[in-house]
Amino acid sequence: MAEQVGNRGWERVFKWCRSLAGVTVIATVLIALLATADRGGYILVNTIVTGGMTALVAMGLALTLGVLNIPMFAHGEYFMIGSLVAYYVFTPISSFLNTHPDSALALWGPLITVLAAMIVGALAGVVSEVFVFRQLRKRSRENWVMNSFLLTVGLSVVMINAHQLFFGADFKGITHYWSGPPINLMDVFISRDRAYAFILSVVVVGVFWFFMTYTRTGRAIRAVAQDETGALMVGIGLNGILMLTMSLSCVLAAIAGAGLLFMYPSYPSMGLEPLYMAWFVVILAGLGNVLGAVMGAFMVALLKVLTVEYIGSGWDFVVPSALIIVILIFKPSGIFGSEVRGVLDK
Amino acid sequence: MNHTTPSANPIDRLLDSLCLTPAGLLSLVALAVLPLVPPFNHEYLIRWLISAAFIASLSIAFDFTAGLINIVNFGYCAIMGVGGYTSAILAERIGLTPWIGMLAGGLVAALLGLIIGMITLRLRGIFAACLAWFFGLAAMGLATKMVWLTRGPLGMRVNRLFDTASNVPYYYLLLGMMVVTYVICKWVTRTRMGVAFKAIGQNMEAARTSGINPVFYRVSNFVLSCALAGWLGGFYAHYYGILTPDIMLTSKTVEVLAVAYIGGRGSLWGGAAVAFPFIFAMELVRSSLSNLPGLNLLLYGLLLILVMIYYPGGFAAFFDATFRKYKNRVMNYFFNGAYESPR
Amino acid sequence: MLLEVKKLNAGYGFLQILRDVSLTVDNGEYVCLVGPNGAGKSTTLKTIAGLLTPMSGEILFDGESIAGLPGNKVTRKGISFVSEEMNLFVNMTVQENLAMGAYTIKDKKLQKDRLDFVFDLFPRLVERRHQLAGTMSGGERKMLAIGRGLMPNPKLLLVDEPSFGLAPLLTESVFQSLDTLVRQGVTIMLVEQNVTKTLAVTHRGYVLENGRIELSGKSSDLACDAHVRKVFLGV
Repeated sequence: MAEQVGNRGWERVFKWCRSLAGVTVIATVLIALLATADRGGYILVNTIVTGGMTALVAMGLALTLGVLNIPMFAHGEYFMIGSLVAYYVFTPISSFLNTHPDSALALWGPLITVLAAMIVGALAGVVSEVFVFRQLRKRSRENWVMNSFLLTVGLSVVMINAHQLFFGADFKGITHYWSGPPINLMDVFISRDRAYAFILSVVVVGVFWFFMTYTRTGRAIRAVAQDETGALMVGIGLNGILMLTMSLSCVLAAIAGAGLLFMYPSYPSMGLEPLYMAWFVVILAGLGNVLGAVMGAFMVALLKVLTVEYIGSGWDFVVPSALIIVILIFKPSGIFGSEVRGVLDK
Repeated sequence: MNHTTPSANPIDRLLDSLCLTPAGLLSLVALAVLPLVPPFNHEYLIRWLISAAFIASLSIAFDFTAGLINIVNFGYCAIMGVGGYTSAILAERIGLTPWIGMLAGGLVAALLGLIIGMITLRLRGIFAACLAWFFGLAAMGLATKMVWLTRGPLGMRVNRLFDTASNVPYYYLLLGMMVVTYVICKWVTRTRMGVAFKAIGQNMEAARTSGINPVFYRVSNFVLSCALAGWLGGFYAHYYGILTPDIMLTSKTVEVLAVAYIGGRGSLWGGAAVAFPFIFAMELVRSSLSNLPGLNLLLYGLLLILVMIYYPGGFAAFFDATFRKYKNRVMNYFFNGAYESPR
Repeated sequence: MLLEVKKLNAGYGFLQILRDVSLTVDNGEYVCLVGPNGAGKSTTLKTIAGLLTPMSGEILFDGESIAGLPGNKVTRKGISFVSEEMNLFVNMTVQENLAMGAYTIKDKKLQKDRLDFVFDLFPRLVERRHQLAGTMSGGERKMLAIGRGLMPNPKLLLVDEPSFGLAPLLTESVFQSLDTLVRQGVTIMLVEQNVTKTLAVTHRGYVLENGRIELSGKSSDLACDAHVRKVFLGV
């Protein structure tokens, strides 16, 4: 009996390996390893670090698409908010640390910064949902996808220009979060900031996965994503869940923005690149598929790293666009399957 | 929104056959006369007028897709830019006259529209919007990187259409192009094709069962809208004199989008009407409150949000609800000699 | 009186479907609402369940006014609605769907008890407990939908077209389960197009035509009524 179960387990694994999802995942890993062997360990490091943070941003977008059914084009702006808050919280901490290098803030400073970014990101999400999207929802459910999309465009303009108006258009960056020599892993030098960013993304993805799978609220969110009416029928309060989800989505983007401040300084229109990456991931993985977005993020990160490495920087808008065309022609529901109600036209 | 209901008076009927309304005609005349009237005869205000007319024309063609078949072409200004670059490159490389170059730009842009339309034809509208956006970003990337062709971010010098120092002839040319754009789009909406567009925009499935092939119509709509964008892009190149990849930015498309939707989706003329006061207001705020950068754009973002939530019909709906009824009554009185309540 | 609906007017947007609908359901009753297609039967249930906002009228449940309350609050008051479209969570398993049905129950022991209750009632669901809801047959999905509706131990169960699209054997099975529930004291209001069967098993009935209640009374009486027989049975 145990042997049969064991065999069936292996059968399922092999079946997955032959599916589109399995093939692309395996191909990605193989290509990453090949490129690393070819050019050096930094390829793998860059892919993993970029992938981790892209995963956060992409998961947030997948949430908004799957649960709220909003094609969010202001997602990059929540990333920008995270980085902006991180700048203003960490800069004073940083100057304090210059004169008191042994204080506890050396350890807690970056963490407090991310926490601050989370809080402001959550607030931004709540404000967006309550004052913008809920108002539209109350008035008309008709043509929701297009109308909410237009609202996100408006939100994006407002947030970008509010940044410029109140904080200036200049680049606001920090040199580093963590001081100390880079970590040496198998002849590759990984800066502490990058390692920190990656660990942060792993922790956040893990916590988030646990939340969505095992907690009552997480299951409620998944229920709303699958059938809003059904969720109402079992007693789930829609407004609360929608607000919470929007908030979570923005928090994820804000964490990524804060975590990467050492690499990407904050300025008003910095959100375009994370937005673009997130949308690429989400279309690749399948609209609304939150876990698929994580895997897709690493694939996209690898693509970006390889494009920069083998073709040259500045082409990173061109190559993904070509891939998107292929995906939309052959598998519009994405590699891992879409969970948004109806990908094809009704 | 269709003004083809036959009116009682002959003026309305005549104008109608030209796709115009009395208010529209008056506005056009006003716009044409404006550069002769101080303070509008100053060059910098003429430039503002040209900017406004340009956004107005783009918003008409944009609304043709967004308002009628309910698809947002999020790479619109990039497609316009492709038209511009086509014309500029042809002028530089083979000495093609800009008048034909503009048409060539329209053709290339139409081709882009064809490709995008064909790829996303079976998918929800949001995919078409996304793909157009990605295409736009890729086009901008290519224009930036292919320096041997486009001089990249440094900009490409383009020969101008007229040799004059004044911009006034450009203004009148653009006004003409705006009218042509509007008449073409309006005329198409009155044909069977236009009815098909509306059907697809409202209910794809029902349209299909009525025998309308949504694929063909969606692609046709896209192609026409992109062709007009490319043609206008050609104008821009040969007016501005310098072409940089910046005109393909998503934020430029957002400007057109905002104007089109605040003006009133589906109306075609709404965006054009709104564009003029809009651009003027924005430029005024920008030049007078230069210590508050970005305020003008922030305000228009807010306006877009407010209009979309609270008055989704936009300016055109507002105009129809208040002025048109009044105007019809007045015309009725003039021609029928007595006051009759409109039906 | 468990449920009192007084002069309910409701519809979708500007389209009014229900006109001055009044009905009652008492504790332990098995009541049906029958009528031709498009009469407004589903609209009635949806409005009571809080999925639609009434235009005017009263809905009293256990003496409390619930008109206009959103669906989740109505569920918490003790009304479960099983819709015609079932609204199952297609990417969740049978067990997960039932667990979601118990969303409003905090007590883990009570949740387990209710799960056992539903599995007792629908043994077929037990074998499929780890199967995705979206991959099950029509009949099994109906059972799951009813089961999910039963999880919070509702005082009133509203069922919309339980036999729609089901083969006769399955229809019989579903009706038997509903019977069992009534005998155990659950109050049920049923909307059905299968008039003969429905009038045979329920206590009382209402006939809805064009959004108005045309007839009401004991089911056995309605079954003999000339108008009913003409409209529904073609006799």
